[in-house]
Amino acid sequence: MQSIISDYNYWIYILLMMIGLYAMLAKNNLVKKVIGMSIFQTAIIVFYVSIGAKKHASIPIIAHGPGHDAVEAAIDITHYANPLPHVLMLTAIVVSVGTLGVALAICLGIYRRYHSLEEDEIQEKLQ
Amino acid sequence: MIWQLDLSILSLIVVCAFATIMVKDLLSAAIIFGAYSFLMCLLWTEMGAVDVAFTEASVGAGVSTVLFIAAVHQTTRRVGFRKSGRGLSKAIGLMAALLTGLVLLIAEMDFPDFASPFSPASLHLSPYYITQTLHDTNVPNIVTSVLADYRGFDTMFETAVIFTAGLAVIAILRRYKKDDRCELPAPYIISEGYPDTIIRFVARQLVPFIQLFALYVVAHGHHSPGGGFQGGVIIGASFILLAISYDTKMIIGLMSERSNILLGNIGVLIYAGIGFLCLLLGANFLDYSVLSKILPATDKVMARSHGMLGIEIGVAIAVMAIVISIYINIISCGKYKNEE
Amino acid sequence: MDIIIVLLSVSGLIFFFATTVGLLRFPDFYSRMHAAGKGDTLSSLIMLMALVLYNFHEFNLASLLVAAKILLIGVFIFMASPTATHAIIDAGYESDIQPWTKEPEEES
Repeated sequence: MQSIISDYNYWIYILLMMIGLYAMLAKNNLVKKVIGMSIFQTAIIVFYVSIGAKKHASIPIIAHGPGHDAVEAAIDITHYANPLPHVLMLTAIVVSVGTLGVALAICLGIYRRYHSLEEDEIQEKLQ
Repeated sequence: MIWQLDLSILSLIVVCAFATIMVKDLLSAAIIFGAYSFLMCLLWTEMGAVDVAFTEASVGAGVSTVLFIAAVHQTTRRVGFRKSGRGLSKAIGLMAALLTGLVLLIAEMDFPDFASPFSPASLHLSPYYITQTLHDTNVPNIVTSVLADYRGFDTMFETAVIFTAGLAVIAILRRYKKDDRCELPAPYIISEGYPDTIIRFVARQLVPFIQLFALYVVAHGHHSPGGGFQGGVIIGASFILLAISYDTKMIIGLMSERSNILLGNIGVLIYAGIGFLCLLLGANFLDYSVLSKILPATDKVMARSHGMLGIEIGVAIAVMAIVISIYINIISCGKYKNEE
Repeated sequence: MDIIIVLLSVSGLIFFFATTVGLLRFPDFYSRMHAAGKGDTLSSLIMLMALVLYNFHEFNLASLLVAAKILLIGVFIFMASPTATHAIIDAGYESDIQPWTKEPEEES
């Protein structure tokens, strides 16, 4: 049961990546391709974040405040989720929104020039 | 890590991903993509990645959806049929996706157990970060301390990348001459808001509180999920809310192109400037502990905490300016004045 | 205390379910938006109340702060969600969507 749940998670991440890849390759509309790129990026981010997850662990903020004595007590690493993939994926999300802005700007420029967002119509007009 | 919640949210995510790419209407695809982003945010909260979920909620589900809808508003909602060669492109796409999926599945057999505390990723470097961050930097939020202090170089170049993306959108879309190759319809009118009293009143009342909350997120990033990026994007989103409920021209009057680029520059300058200040004081680049020489009454550990706050402010200013700039350029397609 | 929390959560769930059923089954854009807007706001507020009560299991200053923040979220949802519903219905009205009328019954 445990291995089925574990494998099921990884299969879903791979399925999401492949949905994104298929949308980037096979769809005709440019904005659909951009959406496929976004799905691909978020699927990879979810895969990385799942590496940092730990069973029965809390968020990676060291418990402080009334009732918690974190400075003197020893910090048990199995109580906190792994923060390193979270840091890398924060950068990835913000860069992905910048990339999305540039991709949509390029789609806008293409539409204004060729009056179409379909790949085959644009290729006809290019020749 | 509740596995039942995990699997149910994952199934919904797959359904949303299928729906987004299959729907025949671009506006619906953009809205379903917003729902997909929100479900991703829920999944990451459930996995314990609260900072990542916060960023995705503000950036992915907020600003990305608005950018998609703005782009669809300026182009077309229609998704046309491919006239010829439809079967071939679908077959090639399916083939490529299946082959890559197969390779990844074969690699998946060697992965460590899902969410095990003894996987190789959790055993080498991250125990140092978890145990030493309070002692080194006095910041309880481990993600913020790793992002802003231990891996500060990455974050500086990430801010530079955001600034470059804003510049790239300006370079692609901005038109100054009267006639240009891109043939906008004449007379060209920037999208004018529909003057609705309720929406304008509520937006006007909410925007100061949204901006106050964004400043709280930036300042409290040391103790709770948050930080520079999330706060900057939320201020940018508050300006986008004003632009949608009123008029794009009002926002262009408030945050002109020149002030946007200037603020983006100032953000990156604050970040690199703090790094250079550390160089001038005699330590490595971005080594905040020497800031204790010029800050009154701080020791080396608190100086690192204050240095982190300084660069988070720089990041917030840069991200806010660039998010507003990208939105204005996409919604107005590069022309800021009405043409007669 | 636990019973109240469970009651509030379950009733929030029931209202959400009713909202979804209304969203799928109503014949017209305007009635669907009516169901979605009102049911959405109400169920969110009920579930936030359940979260506030759950937070009070340990009663100290930190939990008071958390409860205040959750109540502020409730106020924000109360202001923003009906405005969003109003905006969508207004957009539908401006696009000339005709309301559904009952078909006239045939005289036999």
